[in-house]
Amino acid sequence: MTWWGFGALVFVAAVLSGARPGPGRHEVEIRGMAFHPAVLEVAPGDTVVWVNRDIVPHTATAKPAWDTGTLTQGRHGTIISRQPGELRYVCTLHPTMQGTLVTR
Amino acid sequence: MKRFSSARLSIILAFAASTHLSAQASPPNLSDPEVAHVAVTANSIDIELARVAIAKAHNAEVKTFARTMITDHSAVNGQAAALAGRLGVTPRDNPVSHSLLTGAQAARASLEKLGGGAFDRAYIDREVAYHQAVLDALDGLLIPTTENAELKKLLVDVRPAIATHLAHAKALQGSLADDR
Repeated sequence: MTWWGFGALVFVAAVLSGARPGPGRHEVEIRGMAFHPAVLEVAPGDTVVWVNRDIVPHTATAKPAWDTGTLTQGRHGTIISRQPGELRYVCTLHPTMQGTLVTR
Repeated sequence: MKRFSSARLSIILAFAASTHLSAQASPPNLSDPEVAHVAVTANSIDIELARVAIAKAHNAEVKTFARTMITDHSAVNGQAAALAGRLGVTPRDNPVSHSLLTGAQAARASLEKLGGGAFDRAYIDREVAYHQAVLDALDGLLIPTTENAELKKLLVDVRPAIATHLAHAKALQGSLADDR
């Protein structure tokens, strides 16, 4: 394999692994029955990933725009934010848990 | 092993309709396996009552709340079972668990006599009182007195879920009162 080919392979592997959030990718951690950060600002087209660290299941839901579905411990749900604006979302299982996604 | 004072014991038993232990001269010593048994029993009690609520509740949000209680308390008991297995510990039956079960049977019997909106309000009132008592027991008794670090961490990790259940139940309590 050439050096160029090896470099391309490493790049593709890094992209596929998604190990580190980079530009355009944001992570919201769900722990202690709260969204962290509670307010997240992203650009149109950015990817947002919710990861559930709690024992109990959660959702991140902004109906009718999007819904991660039920996320058990250790699972994640992903959306791509396309519509500019401020969107409040909740965990439908625990409606007192609320977050805000700002797209601009 | 640490002993529980009568006052502290009464906190955990506040949600039991029949508090036999509060009348005992000498509160029992509870080991970590017994604390684990109390925690599992408390979760199981709420799961069983939620099953009654799903069958009998009139209000859709009350049914949804009951489903969440089953999901969440089952998840916690799953973690407790996994931890016990990992530690090679068997949760040990004890008088506190017995007293909780006695109180739960009394609560269930009184709830099963009710229907419609009266059932909804009584169930949610019970859930508010139950989760408040569990929260008090976690803060004042179970977390401070548990010796095993992993069991203590599990109780600490569970605490926010109990607080959230309490907030959810209180919100429902308010909306059901408005519907009267």
